Amino acid sequence: MKIRSDVLRTYQSVHTWTGITTSLLLFIAFFAGALTMFKPQIEQWATPTSLTATPVSEQKIDRLIGQAIREQDKAREGFNVDFVEDGAALSWFAHGGGRGLRLDDRLAFARLDKNEQMIVQQAPSNELGNLIDQLHRTAGIMGKVGHEDLGVLILGVAAALYFLALISGVIILLPTIVKHLFALRQHKGANRFWLDSHNLVGVVSLPFHLLIAWTAVVFAFHDPMYGGLSLVYGDKPLFEPRDRGSITYDLEQLPSMAEYQRQLQALAPDYRIDKFEFTQLNTPNPSLAAYLSADDRMQRGGYHDIIYLHPFTLEVGYSTVTSSEQDVFAPVVNSFFSLHFGNYAANYGRWMYFIMGLLGAFLFYSGNLLWLEKRREKHGEQRKATKVMAALTVGVCAGSMLGIAVAMLASKWLYLLNVQLNQGYLWSYYTVFALTIGYSFYRGAAHSAIHLLYALTAVCLAIPATTLLALIIPSMPSWSSAETSNLMVEVMAIVFAFAFLCAANKAKARAYFGDRNSIWAINMASDKALEPATIPQQS
Amino acid sequence: MARLLLQDKIQPHWWCKTFIGIFMGLLLSYGLIALFAWFGPDGLETGMKVQFNMWMISAIWLPILTLIYLFKTARSAFIYLLFANVCVYFLFVSLWWLQ
Repeated sequence: MKIRSDVLRTYQSVHTWTGITTSLLLFIAFFAGALTMFKPQIEQWATPTSLTATPVSEQKIDRLIGQAIREQDKAREGFNVDFVEDGAALSWFAHGGGRGLRLDDRLAFARLDKNEQMIVQQAPSNELGNLIDQLHRTAGIMGKVGHEDLGVLILGVAAALYFLALISGVIILLPTIVKHLFALRQHKGANRFWLDSHNLVGVVSLPFHLLIAWTAVVFAFHDPMYGGLSLVYGDKPLFEPRDRGSITYDLEQLPSMAEYQRQLQALAPDYRIDKFEFTQLNTPNPSLAAYLSADDRMQRGGYHDIIYLHPFTLEVGYSTVTSSEQDVFAPVVNSFFSLHFGNYAANYGRWMYFIMGLLGAFLFYSGNLLWLEKRREKHGEQRKATKVMAALTVGVCAGSMLGIAVAMLASKWLYLLNVQLNQGYLWSYYTVFALTIGYSFYRGAAHSAIHLLYALTAVCLAIPATTLLALIIPSMPSWSSAETSNLMVEVMAIVFAFAFLCAANKAKARAYFGDRNSIWAINMASDKALEPATIPQQS
Repeated sequence: MARLLLQDKIQPHWWCKTFIGIFMGLLLSYGLIALFAWFGPDGLETGMKVQFNMWMISAIWLPILTLIYLFKTARSAFIYLLFANVCVYFLFVSLWWLQ
């Protein structure tokens, strides 16, 4: 396809500038985002089974709830019922609770002993999954603007630029797309190979990327967008105001769990009931959020649809379970959410999104490499800007991955040392992230790329090693590693370790035997650690 | 392809085009959504149509923002978007009067 040369040049500039300004933020967002596909599994993996609620049979759950709300003040405010295969588990917030991410929440779990007496146990609520999710949404940028996270707004702008980068990338590819799309030319130099793989990944996953870019813009700016829309609607309010209740019900009147289940099954017949979340029970505005899921439905939440019921009257307040018969727009809007969350095809879909998320991270990393290659000095010293960008690319990309890996590795040790769990995760991530960037500036991109990839390999291998160790150390809280979803984290850690090791070896080969006039080359004369005689000369 | 003369080539005008894309593009998106909200199917119904409209604002805005650089100069980008805006808002006001 022929495109005018000035159009190509214009969009080449658009692509370069939007790409280089956003790639590192988007790398973090995509890597963490890929992991959030398995947020519930990661949280389950990170929490010792001895510190989770023990399910009781569904016949006994009502009796347990009754006892809990009679004896426990906090349970009277609200509690959670998780439905699992062999029954239902009761828990409530002994400290904290409510919307948003908090690091010092404590959960109380209730179960029945042999004499049918309630036993209550407390544990910190594990926020590892939520922290990874927070990293995904903010790229780790802290701070608030009003009630919105600063990081979310910055990523919203980055997502808009990323939309521009996608379209401009396609435009500049159009003249050669038919001829070269599937050509991965390895013999034409590393640069060409990076470019070919960058283009292939970009084009093949284009619909996914366009959708993620657009939805991320909406997620970040929906409040101002609604603000503008309210001008369009004039006097008509955008949303119907919620009824405020006036009656405070007696908790003894709380219907049985089976009654809720019957009501919900009628409302959403093809759904599984995962969880009930009762809140503000002792106020005039009590609420029950029922989390429902279905493998083959487009769901509005990350992992669920939600129906809000009045816990005493069973009246539906709000429901994200929709059908096209009620409202044409509802399923369409739900699909936007679902297409971002990848929740419409059970675990197959999640694995696809996981892989596409990682490929997205690759897209941004390879984009930066191409930027660096383009600015390479063919002779002599590389420019300062190139060196800085190379160090930043290596530092941020390796740093975010290493930070997450160290936080996951730290999980079991934090329990063993009995320190503040969620603060521990946070400190692990940010310390490692900062140190990694510091190291890559200190040693330069070429050395640090190799060392950091080895560090990533080691940390990833240490995750399954810790799991093995946890079986031996008696004072460790117990994990039931027998469950396949739990073992998957270890398996993936080994897969990642292998990938990082391969990358480290490739980076090493590039540094010592690759192009001499490159930011990735390590000058043997200045590297005293290596004897020149041991390095074969490049022919 | 014949070589383009300098005056036929796209002029960069990066900042101007970007600002025109952001502000006049957004105005145009809201105009189109206003038409759809008031006179499209289901009219000014609250409910999921409100959310749908909010989503569509950026779905129109982002492509405008991307394709704004195809205009040869910032001036022509401004004139075309101004024209489009005037058309859309004129149509909106006319339909509103007729109602």
